[in-house]
Order: sequence, then structure tokens, then C-alpha cells
Amino acid sequence: MSDCEVIDEEIKEKIQNVVVFMCNECGQGSANTAGVARMAYEPAIRIVRVQCTGQIGPIQIMDALSNGADAVACVGCCIGACHFFNGNLLSMHRIKLMKKLFKELGYSDQFINQYTSRAAEGETAVGDFEDIVDRLTTAIKEEGTIKDEC
Amino acid sequence: MNVRVFQFNGCNKCFYETILLKLDNKINVELISKPSEWKEESIDLAIITGYLLPADKEWIERIKKNSKKVVAFGDCTTTGGVFALANQKGHKVTPLNSLISNGFNVNGCLGEIEELSYIINEKELPKSKPLCNVCKRRATCDYLDRVNRQIEIDDTNTCFNDLGFLCNGFIAKACKERCIDYNTPCRGCKPMLERSGIRMLGMFGTLMGNVEMATEHSEKGATDKLADADDDVTESLPDILGNFFRFTLPTSGLPTGRIPSSGKLLQDVFTGRLIEELPLITGLLGGNKSISLTLKIIESYEKANNIEISEQTKKYRAELLKLESELIKATSEEDAQKYKETTEKIRKIAGNMNLSNLYFGGFKKQIEDNDNFETYKSHVFEVVEGIYKNGSVNYSIDPKGIIKEIKIKEG
Repeated sequence: MSDCEVIDEEIKEKIQNVVVFMCNECGQGSANTAGVARMAYEPAIRIVRVQCTGQIGPIQIMDALSNGADAVACVGCCIGACHFFNGNLLSMHRIKLMKKLFKELGYSDQFINQYTSRAAEGETAVGDFEDIVDRLTTAIKEEGTIKDEC
Repeated sequence: MNVRVFQFNGCNKCFYETILLKLDNKINVELISKPSEWKEESIDLAIITGYLLPADKEWIERIKKNSKKVVAFGDCTTTGGVFALANQKGHKVTPLNSLISNGFNVNGCLGEIEELSYIINEKELPKSKPLCNVCKRRATCDYLDRVNRQIEIDDTNTCFNDLGFLCNGFIAKACKERCIDYNTPCRGCKPMLERSGIRMLGMFGTLMGNVEMATEHSEKGATDKLADADDDVTESLPDILGNFFRFTLPTSGLPTGRIPSSGKLLQDVFTGRLIEELPLITGLLGGNKSISLTLKIIESYEKANNIEISEQTKKYRAELLKLESELIKATSEEDAQKYKETTEKIRKIAGNMNLSNLYFGGFKKQIEDNDNFETYKSHVFEVVEGIYKNGSVNYSIDPKGIIKEIKIKEG
């Protein structure tokens, strides 16, 4: 994959749009808490509010990726705390399959991820955002972006 | 009416299926197996079969210029088909729609000749039903505790998906080949909606709700996140691409794969697929030699792993091989009547032209009403790592049953 290697300064430029689907309960709740506490996070993060991460599946992820997103992540409630019974677990199953699919195609599996957060703690959401960008940076460094097609 | 059928690359099953158009006296059909040798002439309708590569664009444009209508016949031409699985390794199998704009697509592997006749005679197509509407099995859509790669074929009333056996019927139209009638789950060759593979992946991922999934602690977020490590979810579906995108990879919206290619398209289609899927894939892409190819693969595996086969199975297999030579003769003579009779006989034994009834150790469905099915019924077999050889076919599988290397001498 030598053609795909990118130098460190270029990576920051390559990460422009990271679509994060946040559930209306814990996910968006913790982002709100982070906002109230004026915590800073990466400007590349674009939040899309959904009722539950259980609404997010392969179709929504592929829509985001094919319309210019560099990576997609879901942030839902903690395991066992989903406000819609088991929506976060179901979307985790689907996202796990999507990650495997990207691996089978020879891409990094870090373009798609799922996290959890707690509504009362803003740092959980901000920490998740940091983790998303970190993992994406490593992935791009090693294997290039999806758009590079190399 | 002047109709010309053009065969591009790959399997010639759909190409020869159009011989049946000759039974209609109003249509003047000519089969052209090498489009580059075609003397350009003005025609009413061009039918294109076989998979296409960007290099074929020149000939496709010439055909379009000379004909009033262009119809894509069969999955390889309309959506890329089974050969497009090679796109995982960087090949560029392209559907006809992305080379030229054509309004008529006949999906299916094998393409349905009845549907093609409707288009030729400019009649309106009958409304199609979803496959699940015509399936005898009943679904509950309960969450699965585990996914099964093979099942015993005793239960014929429960939906395949409820048995943990992946079936693409949810996204498919009712079709003529009807693999589901031969205890074979639908492969999704006639999708009802766009991006069918991705939709089916979402559906099956949801069904897998009770399958164990790994999570890990995220240092930065101080909460749990989905783990990267392999778990039961990924272990139970070793080949997602081959199972969900078998016919629709180029139109699915997924990026072209970056897996290193072996250089040969046919080999790249097979590597990464699963051993239990192998007879089904060879049945799809073997053209008029699919029976001998499929039997070679099945027999090499049976012989090496001491899977016993009964006299009755041998008898039916010998009969199929005989029918295949008759089929080759009928196709070379372009004898429509004989082709029709032979394919009907093949369908009787092998289920359909995709040979859904053929399997390791026997057959999946009773063939004659008065014979004893127990004597030639196929059973769940063990996946054994190894190298298997039989004549022109040579393949190796890993402990999980994934094809590592395959060599098929063409022709």
C-alpha cells in the first residue's frame, strides 16, 4: 500500500467531514452537556440527531459515505440503557457486519464505528469524538481514504 | 422483426437461452457469439448477454447506433452478475447501464425468456410479486441465536432465515428458477429494489440480534464501544460480500475492492467464497458446461473426504452428464426444439438451470415421486481443510472453508 501513504500534515486536510449519528437520548444529551460546559471538539465532526441509533443501518451509512463523508460513527446509549429496548445493540450488529464488509473489500474497518455515551457527562461524547478522529487518522495513514481508490 | 443476440464475456447460459426465441415465427433471430466479427447492419432489436468490461464500450456503442432498441438480458449484463464478485480484487466489471443508456433490463440468472418476449412484442409486463409471497415457508422474524452455514433439509415449513440460514428472498422478486423450491435459499438474482445487497445486510444484521457481539472499553470516552476484534457475528458470516452482493456488486454503491488480484478474472470470482457455496456458483457461471464443472468440484471433495454416495445418486449424475452433452449439441446446432426438451429434462433432475438440486453427497429434493429419497438425500458435511483436484479443476480451502486458491482450465 505504498501508493496510499500520506504524510502527517495532509491527513488533517483529508479529514473534513465525519458524520456522527447521535441518538436523541444519551448521545445528543451528552453532546448538549458538553456544549453547556463549553468543551471543545474537532471541527470535522458533523452531528446528525436521530431518535435512536437503531434507525441507522447500512443504507444510511453508505448514503453518508457516498455523499462525501470521510467516516461515519454512531453514538448511542450505554449497553442495556437504550430507551427503545435494544436499538443500540441492533445497530451494533449491523455496523459490525459493515466493518467486516469493508475489510473484505480491502479497506480499513475504522471508517465506521459505534460508541456509547452518558447524557450527564459531556466528556464521554467529546472523548468519543477524539477517539473517532484518532482512529481515522491512523487508518488513513496506513491504508489511505476510501476516495483515494488505491 | 430482426433480432440479434450478442454474447460478450463469460458464461453463455443466457445467450443460448435466447435460442428459444426461434420458436416464434415472427422473429428473425441470429446469435452472434463474437460481436467483433459482426457485419454492421440495421436491426430492430439488440439483445446483449454476458458480463461487460469498460473495453467493450466501443462495440456496445456500435450496436446501439444500428439498432432501435437495446435490451440487457441476464444479471451479468444488467447488474454485473456473479462475475462482478471479481471487483473485490480490483477488476472493473460494469453493468450495461453505465456504458450506454438503455431502457430495457431483464434481470435474473438465468434471464427469463418470457419476460424478454414481452419486451420484443411490446406488451406490458405482468406485475411481479415478492418472492416471500410465493414461498411455502413461513417466517416469524424472531432474533437468531446463531447463524448456520448448512442445515439438514427436514424442515420445509420454516423460513430459511428463521433457521439461521441466510436467504435473500426478502429483497427478491418471484422468479422462474425458484431455488427455494429445491431447499436452497434465494441468492437474490432478481432484486426488487435498488441497492438490494445493502438492504439485505441491514435486515439480516437486525435478525442476528441475539448473536453474541464483542464490545470493548474506550479509553477516551470512558464508556463501551463496539470492539474491532472478531466475534460470533463476524465468525458466523465468513463471506459477506459473496452472500449478500453475489449479483449486484457494481450497482451496490460500494467502492471497488483493493484486495490483490491473481490476474485472472475467473479465479478472482472464486477466491474468498465458501466451500458450501461452490457448487452453486459453478452452477451459475459454467454456461453450457456447468454440469460437468459442478460435478467435478463436488466429486473431488466427496472422494477426498470419504463422503459416500449411493447408486441412485450416481445414476442421476450420469444422466445429467448425458443430458449436458445433448445440450451442447443442441446449442451448437441452434436447434430450439431440442434445446427446450433437453433443458426440461435437466430441470427435472437438477431443479433449475442453476443446478440448485445438486449438492455434496446427493440431492436436496426428491426427483421422482416413486423413488426412495432417503437413498440419495444430501446431508450436512464437515468442512475439511485441504487441496482438492479433479481433472481440470484444482482448489484449496482453509480450515474455515474459505477458498484460498482455485484453478479452472477454461474450455
